Amino acid sequence: MDEKHSMEEDVKKEARRQYLRYFRFWFLAVAVLAIACIALKLSQGAREVPRTNSEAPTERVYDYANVLTDAEEADLREYIAQMEKKHRIDIVLVTFSQSVEGEEAREKYGLRSASWEQNMQDLADDFWDEHKFGYNKGFEGDGALLLHNWYEGQNGEHLSTSGSVEHKFSLRDIDEVLYAVDEYYDTNPYKAYRAYVKELCRRMDTSLSLPFSWGFVVILPIIIVLFYALIGAVQKKAENTVAVNAYVEGGRPQMRNKTDGLLRKNVVTRKIETSSGSRGGGGSSGGGGHHTSSGGASHGGGSHRH
Amino acid sequence: MYFRCKNCGANVIYSPERHGMYCPYCESEGSDERAEGQTGALTLCPNCGGEVSVEEHTSATQCPYCDSFLIFNERVEGEYTPRMMIPFQMGKETCKKSLREKFKSCRFAPTDFLSEARLNAMQGIYVPYWFYDYKTVCQFHGEGTKIRVWRSGDREYTETSVYDVRRDMDLDFEKIPVDASIQMPDDVMDLIAPFQYGQMVGFKPEFMSGFYGEKYNMPSAEVENRARTLMKQDATKLLRESYAGYSSVRTLREDISVQGSKTTYGLLPVWKYIYRYKEQDYPFYVNGQTGKIVGTAPFSKAKFLAYTGTLWACLTAFLALLQILLGMI
Repeated sequence: MDEKHSMEEDVKKEARRQYLRYFRFWFLAVAVLAIACIALKLSQGAREVPRTNSEAPTERVYDYANVLTDAEEADLREYIAQMEKKHRIDIVLVTFSQSVEGEEAREKYGLRSASWEQNMQDLADDFWDEHKFGYNKGFEGDGALLLHNWYEGQNGEHLSTSGSVEHKFSLRDIDEVLYAVDEYYDTNPYKAYRAYVKELCRRMDTSLSLPFSWGFVVILPIIIVLFYALIGAVQKKAENTVAVNAYVEGGRPQMRNKTDGLLRKNVVTRKIETSSGSRGGGGSSGGGGHHTSSGGASHGGGSHRH
Repeated sequence: MYFRCKNCGANVIYSPERHGMYCPYCESEGSDERAEGQTGALTLCPNCGGEVSVEEHTSATQCPYCDSFLIFNERVEGEYTPRMMIPFQMGKETCKKSLREKFKSCRFAPTDFLSEARLNAMQGIYVPYWFYDYKTVCQFHGEGTKIRVWRSGDREYTETSVYDVRRDMDLDFEKIPVDASIQMPDDVMDLIAPFQYGQMVGFKPEFMSGFYGEKYNMPSAEVENRARTLMKQDATKLLRESYAGYSSVRTLREDISVQGSKTTYGLLPVWKYIYRYKEQDYPFYVNGQTGKIVGTAPFSKAKFLAYTGTLWACLTAFLALLQILLGMI
C-alpha cells in the first residue's frame, strides 16, 4: 500500500515537472511582459510632462450658441481635462450663432471676407490666438479648437489646429474629426462634441498597439487553443503501409497479353466565346490646410458646412 | 526445454542486438546448451521445479520464480513445428525508444504512460502465422476512353477515342501472412505488416529463448479467407494499374482465378505493451523486425484540461500585456 502510494506521489511529481518544463517559456514571457508593464507605468508616472502654458484661461467650453445644458458643459469640461492631460494638447470648443457670410458679415461684424469658409477660419484662429491657448506655450502651442456656427442657413464647423496637432494632422484627419461631429450634431450636440474630443485624441495617439482589438485578444487564444486541443487529441492507430505488390513474386505481374485496339473515334468542335472588360479608379490626398492667422501664428484646419 | 549457459548455468537468451545467444549473467556468447526437464510435466519449470501457469496455446513463457525462459517441446514440434520464422531484430530497449519517439508529441497522455517502470512490462511474443502462396491468372476485358482537347484559332476541338482493352497476366503471390492466433486482434496484425522476408530463416528453438510464444490456434482453413481477400484486392489493383492511361474504363469482364496454392506455418516477432489506465487496457504492438507501432495513446482528461487551460491563460495574458505595453510606449 505504501509502495503504491509512493509510486503515485512520484508520478504526480513527474507530472508537475513535465508541466513546468512544457510551459516554462510561456511563464517566462508573461512574467517579463508583466514586469515591463509595471516598470513602464512607474517610469511614466515619474516623467509626466506638466502643462507649461499658464497664460491661457482654464475654460475650454464656450457655448455661446447655448446648445448644451449646464450638466453637459460640466461633463465635457471634465472629459476634455482628462484627455488634455493624457495627450498633452489643449482642446477647445466654441459654439456661436452669427452670420459669417456675405456683405452683412463684413459690414455688421467687421469680418475681412464675404466667404463663409474664410471667416470661420479667421474667427477660429483669432479665438485661439487671443486666448493664448496651447498646452506648451501661448503662441503656436499644441492643441485644436472646434468652432461651430449654429446660425440658420450657415450651420457648420471649422477645426483650427496648432503646434503638434497642426504638424500631425492632414486634411483627411481634419475631415474625419469633422465627420465625427457631423454624425450627431443635429440630434445630440453633446454627443457630437464628445465625438470631436475622442476622434481628435484618437488621431493624436502615437502609442503603438497590436493590429487587432481587445475582443481579438480574448478570441484569438480560444481559436489557437481549440486547434492545439484538436491536434493533441486526434491520433491514428497506424497507417496501412503494405504496398500493393508486397507479396507478388518479383514485385510485378507477368504480362501474357496486352492489347489496346481502337474501336472508334469522333471529334466535336465548338466556337470559343471571348469577353472583355475594364476597370479603373483613382484618388487624391492633400495637406493639412496650413495658413497664417491675422496674429501671425501658423494654423492648420478645415471646415464642413451643412 | 530451456537453454542453459555452459559457463555459469544461468538461462541463455537470444539477443536481437547481438544476433546470437547470450548469457545476461556471465555475458558469454554462444555458450548455450539445450536442457530438458526431469519430469516432463508442462506446468513445472525444468530449471527450478516451480509451478508455471501455462495457457492452452502458449509455446514459450517465463518462469515466475527463476525467470528462465521455457519453450514447450510439444508445442513447437510435430504438427506445430514452424517451417520458418523471423527472429526478433529489435531488442526491448530499442523498442522502448521507438515508443517514446512516436508518442512524445501526445501531450494529453498520462504521465507514466511511457515511464521506465511501465515499459519494462513489455513482452516479446512470437505470433503464429499462416503464410499463403497463390498462383493466379488475371484477365480483363473492357472499353477504355481517351479524351484529347486542343484549340485552333477561335475553335476548340474535343477528340474522343474508344479502345478495346484486353489484359492477361500471371500473378504469383508469396507468403501472404495471416495470424493464426485468437488472442491477437486481426486489424492490428494487418496493420503491423509488412515484414521483410529477406530475414526469414528456418525454425530454431534458440530464437525463442528470451521471448514468449504461441502455437497456432486457428486452423489454416478458418483464416484463409483473409488471405484470399487481400490477394483479390491486390490483383484487382494491379490489373487497374495495367490500364491506367485511360480517362475512363468500362469493365466488360474481369476474372481472377487461382491455379495453385500452398500454406506454410511460421512465427513472426511482435512486441506487446499493455498500459492500464482508469480500469481500461490500452494495447500497443510493435513489429519486432521493422519497429512499426500500432496503437493509440490513452487520453488523460486532467492533463488535457490543465494544458489547454494554461495555454489559453498564457496566450490571453501574453496578448493583453503586449497590448497594454505597446499602448504605453
